[in-house]
Amino acid sequence: MSARGSLWQRIVGGLIGTLSLAALGGVSVSASAAPPPDFVEAIDVPWDAGGVLIVSWRVDGDPSAITGWLIERREEIDGAKWVTVSELPAAAREVTATKLSHDHAHRIRVTAFGESGQLSKGLETAPTLAHANFFIGAKLPLFVGILVVSTCVIVFILSARAGRPIKIRRIAALDAVDNAVGRATEMGRPILFIAGIQDMDNISTVAGITVLGHVAKTAAEYDATIEVPTSRSLVMEAARETVQASYLSAGRSDSYNPDLIRYITDEQFGFVAYVSGRMVREKPAACFYMGCFFAESLILSETGNSIGAIQIAGTAESTQLPFFVAACDYTLIGEEFFAASSYLSREPDQMGSLKGQDAAKLITAAAIVIGVVLATLASLAPDGAFPAALTWFKGVLGS
Amino acid sequence: MRIVATDCGSTTTKAILIEERDGVFRQTFRGEAPTTVEEPFADVTLGVTNSVTELQELSGYRLIADDGTIIRRRSQSDADGCDLYISTSSAGGGLQMMVAGVVREMTAESAKRAALGAGAIVMDTIASNDRRKPHEQIQRIRELRPDMVLVSGGTDGGDTKKVIELAELIAPARPRPRFGGEYKLPLIFAGNKEARGAITRCFGGEGFALSIVENLRPTLEQENLGPARERIHDVFLEHVMAHAPGYDRLMSWANAPIMPTPGAVGDILQTIARGRGINVVGVDIGGATTDMFSVFGGVFNRTVSANLGMSYSISNVCAEAGMDSVLRWVHLDMDERELRNRVKNKMIRPTTIPQSLEALVFEQAVSREALRLAFIQHKAFATTLKGVQQQRTVGDAFSQDAVGKSLVDPMAIDLMVASGGVLSHAPRMEQTALMMIDAFEPEGFTQIAKDSIFMMPHLGVLASVNARAAMEVFERDCLILLGWCVAPKGEVRAGRPALEFTLSGGPSGGNAEVAKGQLVGGEMRLVRFPLGHSGKLEVRPEKGLDVGAGPGKPVKRTIEGGTVGVIIDARGRPLKLPTSPSVRRSAVAGWQKALEIYL
Amino acid sequence: MAKAYTPGLKVTPRTTYQARRLLPVPGTVKVKHGDRVTADMVVAETFLEGDVFPIKLAAMLGVNPRELPELMLKKTGDQVAVGDPLARTKGIFGMMKTEAKSSAAGVLESVSDSTGMVIIRGPQPAVQVRAYVAGTVVEVIAREGVVVETSAVYAQGIFGVGGEIWGPLVVAATGHNADLLEGDITESMKGAIVLGGARMTAGAIRRAREVGVAAVISGGIDDADLRDVLGYDLGVAVTGSEKLGITLLVTEGFGDIAMARRTYDLLAATAGRMASVNGATQIRAGVMRPEIVVPIDGGGTGEVFGGGATAGLLEVGTRVRIIRDPHFGVLGTVSALPEQPAVLGSGSKARVLEVAIEDGSRVTVPRANVELFGE
Repeated sequence: MSARGSLWQRIVGGLIGTLSLAALGGVSVSASAAPPPDFVEAIDVPWDAGGVLIVSWRVDGDPSAITGWLIERREEIDGAKWVTVSELPAAAREVTATKLSHDHAHRIRVTAFGESGQLSKGLETAPTLAHANFFIGAKLPLFVGILVVSTCVIVFILSARAGRPIKIRRIAALDAVDNAVGRATEMGRPILFIAGIQDMDNISTVAGITVLGHVAKTAAEYDATIEVPTSRSLVMEAARETVQASYLSAGRSDSYNPDLIRYITDEQFGFVAYVSGRMVREKPAACFYMGCFFAESLILSETGNSIGAIQIAGTAESTQLPFFVAACDYTLIGEEFFAASSYLSREPDQMGSLKGQDAAKLITAAAIVIGVVLATLASLAPDGAFPAALTWFKGVLGS
Repeated sequence: MRIVATDCGSTTTKAILIEERDGVFRQTFRGEAPTTVEEPFADVTLGVTNSVTELQELSGYRLIADDGTIIRRRSQSDADGCDLYISTSSAGGGLQMMVAGVVREMTAESAKRAALGAGAIVMDTIASNDRRKPHEQIQRIRELRPDMVLVSGGTDGGDTKKVIELAELIAPARPRPRFGGEYKLPLIFAGNKEARGAITRCFGGEGFALSIVENLRPTLEQENLGPARERIHDVFLEHVMAHAPGYDRLMSWANAPIMPTPGAVGDILQTIARGRGINVVGVDIGGATTDMFSVFGGVFNRTVSANLGMSYSISNVCAEAGMDSVLRWVHLDMDERELRNRVKNKMIRPTTIPQSLEALVFEQAVSREALRLAFIQHKAFATTLKGVQQQRTVGDAFSQDAVGKSLVDPMAIDLMVASGGVLSHAPRMEQTALMMIDAFEPEGFTQIAKDSIFMMPHLGVLASVNARAAMEVFERDCLILLGWCVAPKGEVRAGRPALEFTLSGGPSGGNAEVAKGQLVGGEMRLVRFPLGHSGKLEVRPEKGLDVGAGPGKPVKRTIEGGTVGVIIDARGRPLKLPTSPSVRRSAVAGWQKALEIYL
Repeated sequence: MAKAYTPGLKVTPRTTYQARRLLPVPGTVKVKHGDRVTADMVVAETFLEGDVFPIKLAAMLGVNPRELPELMLKKTGDQVAVGDPLARTKGIFGMMKTEAKSSAAGVLESVSDSTGMVIIRGPQPAVQVRAYVAGTVVEVIAREGVVVETSAVYAQGIFGVGGEIWGPLVVAATGHNADLLEGDITESMKGAIVLGGARMTAGAIRRAREVGVAAVISGGIDDADLRDVLGYDLGVAVTGSEKLGITLLVTEGFGDIAMARRTYDLLAATAGRMASVNGATQIRAGVMRPEIVVPIDGGGTGEVFGGGATAGLLEVGTRVRIIRDPHFGVLGTVSALPEQPAVLGSGSKARVLEVAIEDGSRVTVPRANVELFGE
């Protein structure tokens, strides 16, 4: 609906524009009260994404007769027409023409109009190309920011590779994996792993599959059974590959059984009904919920709690976190969930990048604090140097 | 009432005489003789008779009959003989066991706890997740020559498959017992009751003497070590002891079952902790191993740190801790190459004793590291149960603590008991106290005592026959109270005020001020408060330092005197020694001077 | 009490030495009573039980363990080679059969229908026991081994590494108090038992290993050099099973220390004879010290000795060695045995004795810090 609406608006707007131009054009022939500009110049803006020209002009004669300016542009191709860029008040001597094509040069025409609307003779610029530059100067703060973040990451990766220990705070939920798998082993019951109800394009599902690799490896070492019902076929494939790799690396490839990793249904509640039923019947001793969850979070975790399983959840859905925290033994909260893969693998590259990202977050947090303090001071003492400092700081951050 | 108790150690047999005088039990005489388990004597009772003969000579009572047996009194009026004879034994290397369970951190750990608690040395723990391939496990089982095997695994109604798998590994491996020949290897099964049938089929045949007890982990939330522990004691007597030379005779003499020495020590410590409602840490540092006992909140734990000892294993302590760690406690200048050679010489000639002060300082430095390492191992083992479901509320979102937390809390230790050569034979009691403080880093108020002549094993057995006698002797003769250690928890800043204290009291309590003062960070002070005195000690720590009531909160407690007195330790916890060698050396020398360690 | 028992090391010019050569498990004895044997002669032999290889067959086939026995292609007791099919599933209509192959060679020992595991017992490794010393078989213990007896010059060391070895005894040192240097070892010493004097230096040990010396005997060794040889820091003195290719034996201890003159002279006098050396040391539980046995002609002393710990009576006039700093390694004679304990430099109280040292001076040391020296 909205797309069609806007189309209509454009067509109507276009018609009105054309009509008014024609009307203006018609008036311009009769009078010459407003003097034309004496000099017009169009300059390509340096260090920009292109398509922008700054047009400036001068009037040597008496400007009092001028009531406004009409700025038009024309592309340097055959058959191109003059298009209005803007209409400006009399005092204006400069305008920025935007949204110009990068491919061709443009001529800009500046025309003055008087009280009764008569137009002066227009003055055109030479054809000027609005270049797209290699580097957009306005994005410099962003560039610096990226540099800082990447440097942090690289420095930490290199130092981790060099063997400098990187401390990651203990994540109780991940340390508890051994505990949960051990419980399942001792009780002779299976482990249930749910990688959320979204497909592999969801980053949470990917993180969940990473954790699955670790859980499956532990299960293989303990020789416990792990079941992975999935609600997407692709997730099932990914889970099978991951679990198989884990069994292989644990040296128990003979114990891997792909039939325990199966696709149930895409339907949210069909899947939940299956899993809940399975939990009640099989009574798994350990349940893992790692991925993207919605309304089913509490249904699953409450069922798991009622059968006495150790439950470990991990999700980035802030709305589902309280349910998991209340019903599960351990919960990976947001970032922890994504940090899990580096925490588990202890690979220097992953650990370094995690640490580097943390450093970048620290810098961002510091910038926020500085901004808040400056803005507060600026509002309290508007006459002091703070408003200027705030403006400068905003400029630095590129906003 | 006259009680004779002996402890047959691996080298010496120690006998003590306990007598009831004026209604109170006191330990009166002691005797010692070499243990005679090994060739050429091969009869443990010879050593027992010799040691009791020494008691007889000292006491003037006739205790040994002409045929070498211990004389019993028929009535209280008999001049000769004793009313009760009890004994413990750790001769011939003590009770050596192998344990197995399904998951190393769960049933296998519970099995290990049961075995250690019963006084055994655990040679190895086999579990399905111990990262060894099955054939490696079998190889290991075959190499070991245990006296007994304890198999556990699966909760009741839980796993059976892996338990049977374990049994199927152990059965064909046919571990050979130490006392070869016709001896059937005792095997105790304390696992899933549903696996009992299969286990019986597996071990029912040749070579094993199978006995089945209740599951030691009926659910993961519950540990039931009692039945397994008792069965270990029974099997120890029926099978292991019966095959050791002379033990059949010894058993017929004794009024109570002969217990493994460490098991008896554990029993007496538990009795004390329960009786007084306190948390106790006990240590027995020997030549080859260090035994640690703890009772926290009523839960008993024991660990044996094999190869952490002061003679046979001294070289291993230095290797494990590193020479730098040992030398940080030394205030004298020592040549490292020379020391390393001396350590090895002590290892190959373990019975020598330090003659010079320098040698003593070094040995005591080594002992600190041995105790520290043993305590680390103990802390890692004495934990809450693993594999337990947690109950949470939303409020726990940011405080999800892990299961299997250590029960050992330095702040909660009420009493530390030191025993074993280097601790009990230290020339000055102050040395014993400081070694304990340096190694265990107690926090808040902690009482330190030492076992005068290693009497705890005797009293452990005695407690099972006559609890009153055991308690009375323990309090009057067994423990020598050294004094108290008061140490704030938290980081102190060197030279800045750390705490103020006021000690008042006297021989009969009272409020007379004994001492008051202020300590700065990194300082130690000794306040003499003799044995028999009692009083109140108030400590007011600086902000951020905790002596038991929370950071910055003052604590006032009733304390008793001791042969050393009150040691106030403002070095902070965790204990950090200065890193620069010269600064550290002068700091260590300062502490030793303040505590009058080496005169 | 003017007497006390104290441990010591045995060093004697003539003793009747008996070596008990036993198999770890019963087997066959290859010699008869009265046979003359040489050191490297095999006297008894047996085969150990093979290694055990469990295979989870049911899981490999994806079948219930209970079905496994009927799917087996091999019976219990059958010989199995690596790659042999062990079991085959029935498949669907005789198609799609799965086969599981053995990953180990040996004899199929058992098939479990509760866990689905089969156990294959690997080949039996042979264990041979050699005579170790040249002598006469004086006793045959059926199925277990023999006792070999000989008259010998016998010396116990204090510490050694490496196991049993034999070879001709060669003197390499210039005296009992001269360090054994790299240059003292020559190519001709391959396979020999080399007698050094004081400390064996790192260079000498390295050279000896290069040349292929069987064993080096010396007064002392530096801890750091021992660590280099072993590759780790020895924590507990239980040795003998190292695979070093050489046996090292020290008679006095660690550090710069000369071999006792008597020991040195005794051994040096047997140069050229076949000697047997065992570096195995075990200080705990059943003390075992390393030993040097040089069989000699003629009868023994009548006293039969089979190694192990010795202890003797300590009284005035007894020859002792001080075994702890500050007088470590000093030899002397007990000149007094005071009754009362004395206070030592360390502040401890202990029973002491006075030793008259060879240079004429007298020192007081704790009784625990001496060992008997001599027969």
